[in-house]
Amino acid sequence: MAAIGLSLQSQRVTTGPNTGPAELGARGHATMMPSMDGEVDHVKNGFNPSALLTDFDAGKISTLPNGQILHEYTFVVKNQMIEVMPGLEFAAWTYNGRIPGPTIRVNEGDRVRVELLNASDHAHSIHFHGVHPGNMDGVFDARSGVVAPSGKYVYEFDAEPFGLHLYHCHTAPLAKHIAKGLYGAFIVDPKGGRPKVDRELIMVMSGFDVDFDGKNDFYQVNGIPFHYDHKKNPIKLKVGELVRVYLVNTLEYDPVNSFHLHANFFQYYPTGTSLTPSEFTDTVALMQGQRGILEFSYRYPGLYMFHAHKTEFAELGWTGVFEVEA
Amino acid sequence: MATDSGAPSKARAWLFFIAPIVVLAAVIALFVSTRGAGLNVEPAVPIETVQFGRTILRPGEIELHLRNTSPQPITISQVSINEAIWPYTISPGRIIPRLGKAVLTLNYVWVQSEAYEITVFTGNSIPFTASIPVATVTPNASAATLWKFTLIGIYVGIIPVILGMFWLPALRQLGSRAMLFLMAATVGLLIFLGIDAISEALEIGGELEDTFQATGLIAIGIVGTWLLLQAVSRRQETIGRSAAGQRMSLAAVIAVGIGLHNLGEGLAIGAAYAVGAAALGTFLVVGFIIQNITEGLGIVVPIAKDKPSLRTLAILGLIGGAPAILGAWVGGLVSSRALSVLFLAIGAGAVFQVAYAIGRKMVWTTKAADEMPVTAFAGVLAGMLVLYVTGIAIK
Repeated sequence: MAAIGLSLQSQRVTTGPNTGPAELGARGHATMMPSMDGEVDHVKNGFNPSALLTDFDAGKISTLPNGQILHEYTFVVKNQMIEVMPGLEFAAWTYNGRIPGPTIRVNEGDRVRVELLNASDHAHSIHFHGVHPGNMDGVFDARSGVVAPSGKYVYEFDAEPFGLHLYHCHTAPLAKHIAKGLYGAFIVDPKGGRPKVDRELIMVMSGFDVDFDGKNDFYQVNGIPFHYDHKKNPIKLKVGELVRVYLVNTLEYDPVNSFHLHANFFQYYPTGTSLTPSEFTDTVALMQGQRGILEFSYRYPGLYMFHAHKTEFAELGWTGVFEVEA
Repeated sequence: MATDSGAPSKARAWLFFIAPIVVLAAVIALFVSTRGAGLNVEPAVPIETVQFGRTILRPGEIELHLRNTSPQPITISQVSINEAIWPYTISPGRIIPRLGKAVLTLNYVWVQSEAYEITVFTGNSIPFTASIPVATVTPNASAATLWKFTLIGIYVGIIPVILGMFWLPALRQLGSRAMLFLMAATVGLLIFLGIDAISEALEIGGELEDTFQATGLIAIGIVGTWLLLQAVSRRQETIGRSAAGQRMSLAAVIAVGIGLHNLGEGLAIGAAYAVGAAALGTFLVVGFIIQNITEGLGIVVPIAKDKPSLRTLAILGLIGGAPAILGAWVGGLVSSRALSVLFLAIGAGAVFQVAYAIGRKMVWTTKAADEMPVTAFAGVLAGMLVLYVTGIAIK
């Protein structure tokens, strides 16, 4: 707390005398960006967005008698206070103590087994996007995977089709259960894998409605607004490095989210279900549940923003920077 | 014997006086120690309220004054302006004690005449929003701005009140019935002004946090002023002055009442200028000038038949008009909602008392008793209608 106070003080810029309103536009624009001071307590939160960026989780791997590869996971849902902005606590719900939840990554045709333990005081579930039987859909009741407090359920299905998917809680009221933090990415690689790239990153876009009025107060990728900002934790890349971003939109309350890459273009694979890109662009729009894979490399070193091109979201936290080195 | 029993009975009286207080303290202690008699009175979520005070705009900077009116300390965490999270500084610190004040500063390049909304989040994720309807540089207390506010006060208060007094020679030509009509019109005028001031006070009071108890503040202002003026005018009467002296003292009391009312008016105009709202129309000032000319008339009606000196008239005019200057200063440079509510209530109490005093005088002194009801009715209504019609220009 004291450290935040100090950094706040140092932020102060003195205003020159005799500056009339006419001169307002000319001064100080370059340094005046929406942002936040200080950092949240990642240790207390239990997760750090910088680490989440490359945290692909294949689970506990074994081989079934029929030769199929099995990936086993344990998810625990709990109520958790998260410091979403410095000094600002949000009563969140989490899978395994983090927002977004773990990024499940398996190959097409593998067996996925996820045990859900409910350590919270509300019923919750996991609803996976993909192809699976009705009783694995996590929607209606205990028999289809809605878990009462202190209860548990095992979701088990074959991973298909290949592509970039997501999972989220599907207990009513749905929007609230998702917005409070119960969502994550679910990657199914094609048999034999995707073509090799130099770096792979996960970005799950979402928002926080901290005062529960049905409107988001903050927006972000990977849980914490402004985390990848240039003054904080920019994502380091190298010139010429081929980068693949798994981009998922789990934003509630606002109909459309977007991603814009500065000073560059990317190949875009909607839902990741094809190995052929559908578009070469620098901006994509995604509605809730939509996702896609982006591939690009930087030609010049420098600082490059990426952010929602709904710029209001950007100024409320959904903004980040690639720091590209030679 | 008498002195022996005197001391113990005095002690007994004290004992009887103190005993309920001691028992009360015990009951409170019991309630607190049993956590509200078993009711869980602890709120699930802390109750937090923030009262915004002055907003000061300087080029490239917005300063927000706020007060914590919640039952416990609060912590300010994040601030957004027009849907963008913005860095800020806060003094003395981010933790504000109960009823403590803090000044929040944003380095923000605002644009002249545009609207802004600033949301302050506390550590418990509770947002509070302050609005700047029209952004303009806030006047500070320099000699130049003081003079500007003084000019506004002169235009709104002194000039119209004194102009109204110029009807005095014309009044002298009037018969007693016409005079009665004018007295009644003054009463109507004052009642209208009083009700208007109360409604204004209630409106501003509605924006106040509960801690300030706006309704109680209004009641104190009205009742207190009424009783004070009542006491003063009673004393004047019991001194045993001549009839002319009594008429003069009535004029003086009317002037004081109107002066207190104009204090509230100046306050409203000053506050409007300070937040840039009045920049949208000098219409407001023009309306007040037209309306206030009737106030000058009200002051001189009781002394129309006498021959007051110019000096006396000037003093009466100043008593009635000059408080508008003070009001404009306070409204423009201090801008405290609680103070505005109190001033308006004082104005209301003053004009009601004066209306009552004139009314009483009319009943007791008029000779044309038979004509009185109709003339008084027409006069009071005319007074109110004049203000209603001129008020259309202001609203």
